[in-house]
Parts: sequence; structure tokens; C-alpha cells
Amino acid sequence: MQSNAALEYDYTVAKLYTYTTILFGFVGMLIGTLIAAQLAFPELNYLLGEYGTFSRLRPLHTNVVIYGFTVSGVFATFYYSAQRVLKVSMAESKLAMFAGKLQFGLYLIAATGMVVSLLMGITTTKEYAQMEWPLDILIVVIWVLWGVAMFALIGIRREKALYISMWYFIACFLGVAMLYLFNNMEVPTYFASGGVGAITHSVSMYSGTNDALVQWWWGHNAVAFVFTVPIVGMIYYFLPKESGQAIYSYKLSLLSFWGLMFVYLWAGSHHLLYSTVPDWMQTMGSVFSVVLILPSWGSAINMLLTMKGEWNQLTDNPLIKFMVLASTFYMLSTLEGPIQAIKSVNAIAHFTDWIPGHVHDGVLGWVAFMIMSGLFHMAPRMFKREIYSKKLVEAQFWIQTTAVVLYFTSMWIAGITQGMMWRAVDEYGNLMYSFIDTVTVLHPYYAIRALAGVLYVTGFVMFAYNMIKTMSSSRELAEEPQFRSPMA
Amino acid sequence: MFHWLEKNPFFFAVGVFIVIAFAGLIEILPNFAEASRPVDGLRPNTVLELAGKNVYMKDQCIACHSQLIRPFKAETDRYGQYSLSGEYAYDRPFLWGSKRTGPDLHRVGNYRTTDWHENHMWEPTSVVPGSIMPAYKHMFTNVADLATAYAEAVTVKNVFNTPYGDDIQPGKKAFEAYKPKILEEAKKIAADMKNKDVKDMVAQGKVPEIVALIAYLNSLGSSRYDAKK
Amino acid sequence: MDIRELQGYASFFMTVFLVVVLYWYIVYLYRSEKKGEKDYEKLGNIALDDELDSTPVNTSDPLPNDKKEQNK
Repeated sequence: MQSNAALEYDYTVAKLYTYTTILFGFVGMLIGTLIAAQLAFPELNYLLGEYGTFSRLRPLHTNVVIYGFTVSGVFATFYYSAQRVLKVSMAESKLAMFAGKLQFGLYLIAATGMVVSLLMGITTTKEYAQMEWPLDILIVVIWVLWGVAMFALIGIRREKALYISMWYFIACFLGVAMLYLFNNMEVPTYFASGGVGAITHSVSMYSGTNDALVQWWWGHNAVAFVFTVPIVGMIYYFLPKESGQAIYSYKLSLLSFWGLMFVYLWAGSHHLLYSTVPDWMQTMGSVFSVVLILPSWGSAINMLLTMKGEWNQLTDNPLIKFMVLASTFYMLSTLEGPIQAIKSVNAIAHFTDWIPGHVHDGVLGWVAFMIMSGLFHMAPRMFKREIYSKKLVEAQFWIQTTAVVLYFTSMWIAGITQGMMWRAVDEYGNLMYSFIDTVTVLHPYYAIRALAGVLYVTGFVMFAYNMIKTMSSSRELAEEPQFRSPMA
Repeated sequence: MFHWLEKNPFFFAVGVFIVIAFAGLIEILPNFAEASRPVDGLRPNTVLELAGKNVYMKDQCIACHSQLIRPFKAETDRYGQYSLSGEYAYDRPFLWGSKRTGPDLHRVGNYRTTDWHENHMWEPTSVVPGSIMPAYKHMFTNVADLATAYAEAVTVKNVFNTPYGDDIQPGKKAFEAYKPKILEEAKKIAADMKNKDVKDMVAQGKVPEIVALIAYLNSLGSSRYDAKK
Repeated sequence: MDIRELQGYASFFMTVFLVVVLYWYIVYLYRSEKKGEKDYEKLGNIALDDELDSTPVNTSDPLPNDKKEQNK
């Protein structure tokens, strides 16, 4: 392999996406904190006139953190780790390089378009699919380009076996592609009406209940394929590499991959209960579903067991702290989800603040922790400098952990309080509380949540500062670190 | 089989895809025909109401308000008759929402009036002390996009056979011809309002967003179909 | 048989099918390792030893790269 002597991994695209991860992470979380504060202090709704109300900013928050922060993070870590586990450089494939760069360019355009259009109120209102049809088309192109880059690299790989992370990235690519296409089927009204009205407006192909079915099929699985699948892929690469410990059980990782695939797609079928199918079959169906779910919990356990005998790293390497806590939060939220799906629990939890609470212990504690620690791990390798400050990483970890705990505890209490008050009746069977009573009672919890937001953003600013300093002025490294990321 | 899949990422990908697609097919498709049947006598939204629905979407009322009354006593006591699948048959997109920071609105037209909405949208705390909803004063000056709402009516009529009348036809001319009917409806709403600027605008042939929105909110409930049963 | 019923049966058999596939895969994994055909655990090293010039962990197939490199 002498021809490879001068060849290096090419991190151009990974770097670009690293910048956008930091940028959109900051913007998205800042907006999130603002709207959290608006619920506690409604005067904050009027900072930006028509464009600053809670209702206008909420979809902006969700879309910027999903499509800006998380998706950027997925791309950044993909363009970094895919090369390494396939043992092939982006520089070796003109096609992959071209697709990657073009994808980033279009991604910037789409992201800008998304922010502007949502601020203007141009939206389909379908959650996490708010973008109107021109942006949808652009997103499809971006996604296809990702596929081109991915399979171009896979096609010329030196490592014949696909590492488990790659499996997850492929599943993310395919799953999102199909779900997004089906859910965003829409008819632009301008063209269907002979040129009347706004060109951006469209109507959904599905109506009413069907639209809701498709939307929540998407909503449920989008969470799986954006917030779970690629993030599991990340931890399977970054945790072993940072700790120097191979995965505890590679076989278990393969099994839990398939377990996860089957379960997520299948989780919606519980609404078939009570149909005309014979009872014994329904019971067997439930039993088999549980048997199917079991292996999918293997991932988190596998991660924790990977650290077996190396727990001392938890105390002296802050990146390991981030990753181990992330897998713990992963376990927590994957347990919380099925609990909320139980019929009687759902009757109380649905429509309350418990749902955003559940979402946020997943995204703040699992997704964001994993992305940030992944980028920290990549930085010394991409920029050939050590991480600027270990103290800052430590401080960030504790501040953000506190924030997550405050967030989900306050929202659990708020959600259950609200759910119980909505249904509370007096001795004569009359409702005990008017709706506004159930709003005003939440004020302290909303205030705590806003505080949690401030803390989390503070932590994110520390992350951003640390990263920028690492890129620009940290001590240069003579050679690439093998496992543990060096930090000053 | 597994050995072969591990070595062929392409077929592996196809396998994943088929499993996903099949699951979706079984879960969703069979319900489609059943769920898209409208309840008896349901009328589609008027163009003004559609414009209001678009204001509802533009300002994302859905972020805090649901339109789905579940079949629990606590909900039917609070909001009225639980929601039926057929009531949504003409809704594109569905606007069920996923969070109730504010109350459900699916039957708000049954128990709130035009002037209540006017006061509430101008200053929520004036009618609901302690409310954390922001005021939407800009709706009183922004002009509603009637053309887009009309285009939407044309689209659903032609593409999805939504039962609109023969006066809903494609093209700009048809829209201009239809416009007086929209204004007529808007004037009825404005007559119940007290805001001077709104009344002036409607008199000049412009419909502020608030008028369209109130038309839409008033249509939520049982006024869109005969409550025979 | 109405469509709801059909849906119920389809989902039941799909679930059973998936369970069988998944657990068959478990058996396959452990058996092929026992027989010495495969060594899955060594694949975990792909993440650890990931330099461009390090020897691939799994070289069971001839490398297709040589062709590609000549094209440049």
C-alpha cells in the first residue's frame, strides 16, 4: 500500500458541518430558551413584534435544532467516521467529494430558507415537516446527495466488513428518505388553480384523520431515524475510539440493530388491538412484540459494559463522562416512551408538558451530549490541535447535566399536575378547575424550565468557545492522538 | 442468507427498506378509505374560513391549541361532544395539535362569539385574567391572503373532489369574480366587531387577518354539519 | 373478511416472522463463531484501528481498490 503514504483522511466536509452544528445549536437552543421563558413571563412575546410570539418561534426552535443542529451533527460525524471505519479517504473519490460539498452548499441554502420562511409564517404546520414544498424538494436533493457520497465511499472501501456505525447511518439514510417523501406529499395550490395566490402554499395529499395517521407515522419514526439511529451509530464509533476499548459484544450490537429496526417500525401496530382478530392471536401478538423489543435495549447495556474495568476513565476523561451519561439518558427515555404509550398513562400525559419533558431528556441528555462529545473527539484530529480547555469541558458537563435534570423533573411535575387537574371532578361530578387554573398553576415549573434552558445554553456557549479556541489558538499536536483526546 | 447480506450492503439496504415499507403499509393504508368519509351533511370551509385557517396556520395557533376532543367525560364536559373522524374529512392539513398549553378549540364556535374573539386576540388578559397567551394585534392590520385561500379551494375541488360550488373555478378572473362573495361574508363578521380600523378596511374591500380568523373559529364546532343525531 | 381483520392477521404474522428472523440470526451468529467460520468480535477493532494505512481487520475478500487507484 505504498501509494497511500501521502494520502490522508480528508475532513473538509466534516469541518464545514462542524461549523454549522455549532451555529445552529446556539441559535436553536437560544430560541428554545426564549420560548420557555415566554411561557413563564408572557411579556417576552413582544420583543420582535409579529415575529417574536411563542407560536411563531416554537416551530422555528424545533426545526433549527432538528434540521440545523442534529442533522448537521449527523453529517459532520458521518463524514468524519465513515472514512475511518471504511479506511478510505474522501480525497480518493471525486464523486464522494463533489457530492459532499454540493450537499453542504444546498444545505446552507435550505437551512436559510427554512429559518426565513418559518419566521414569515410560511408553513404546512405538520410537526417536524413544516417546510413548504420548494424546501421539501431541496431537502430531497440534499438527502440523495448524502446517499451518493455514502455509497461512493462504501463502493471503494478497503475494510470489507461494514462497521456497526455504518449500518446505523445507512438505516438513517433510508428510513428518513422514505418517511419524509410519504409525509410531505402535497399539491402546490398555485399550479393547481391556474396561478392564483402565493406560490409557496400547498395542501396535503391526505385529509383529516389520514393526514394525522401519516403525520404521526412520520413523527414517531422521524424521532427514531434522526434522534436515535444515527446517534447510536455515533456512540458505537466514538466511545470505543475515545476509551480505547472495543465494543463489549459486537454480536450484541448487531442484534440490537435489528431489534431497533423492527421495533420502531412496528411500534405503531398496538392500535390494532380490539379489532376483530381472535383474542388468542392478539395476546400472542403482544407477547411477540415484547420479545421483539428486548434486543433493542441491548445497545445501551453494550455501551456501559464496554467501559467494564475502565471506569476510572469516567473520572478523568470528561468526554467519557458525556458519553456514558448520554447512554444512560438513552435508556431512560427509551423506557419512558413505552410507559407513555400505555393507554391509561397516555390519557393523562397526552397534550401536557410531560411530552416536551420526555422529548427533552432524550434530546438534551442523549442527542446533544453525544453530538458535542463527538465533535470534541473530532476536533484534535481535524484541526491537529489539542482541546483548548479541560476545565471548561468539565464545567460545561456539570452545568448542562444540572440543566437536563431541572428540565425533565419540572416538566414531569407540570405535566402530571395539568393532566390530573383537567380531569379532576368534585363530589357531584362537576369539573373542579377552569382551564386557566391549570395554566396559572404551572408558572413555577415554567420558570424552572426557563432557568434550565439558560443553564443549558450557557453550557453550549462554553462548548462553542472551547471549540473555536481549539480550532484557532490551541497548542498544535505533532501527531494524531490514537485514543484519548488530548486537552489542556 | 445472513452471511450474504453482511457482504452486500446494497441488498442489505433493500431489505431494510422493504421491512419499513411493509410495516407502514399494514399500519396505515387499510384505514385510509374508512377515515376519509365525511360525517353527514358536512360542508367544506368557505373561502373566508380557509383564509382564516391559513392565518391559524401562519401564526401557528396549533403550537398551543389542540382540535381533538377525546372520548373522556372530563373532556366532553369541558369542550363538548367528542370529535368524530368524519368531521375532519375536508381538513388539509389536519390541525389536531399535540400540546394543550391553551384549551382545545375543536368546538370553540359553539360557545364563543365574534366580539369575545376580538377582545381576546387584542388583549387576552382582558377576557381571561392570568392568560399567558400573547396578544395578536398585528392580525388587526395585516391583510388576509384571500387569493391563496381561493387557490386552495380550487385545488381541493379539482384534485380531491371536495364539494365546492361551480363558482369556484381556476384562474385569476374567476377569483376576481368570486371576491365579492368573500367580502360579503367578511362584512357580516366585521358588523359584530367594534375595532374602527377593521371596519374601515373591510369597507374598503380589504379583509384583515382577524376577520378571516374569527370566521374560521366560528366555523369550528357543529355549525359545519347538521347535528341530526 | 374485512380489511381491519386482514390488517390484524397481517400484522400478527409479520411480528412472528420478524421474531423468528431475529432469533434465527442470534443462533446463526453464535453458531458460525463456534464453528470458526467467523470472528465477529474482532470486527469491534475496526473503530480502534482506523488509520488509513493500517491493515484492514477483515480481508476475507480480494480488495477491489487496486482497480480504482489505477484510474486516477
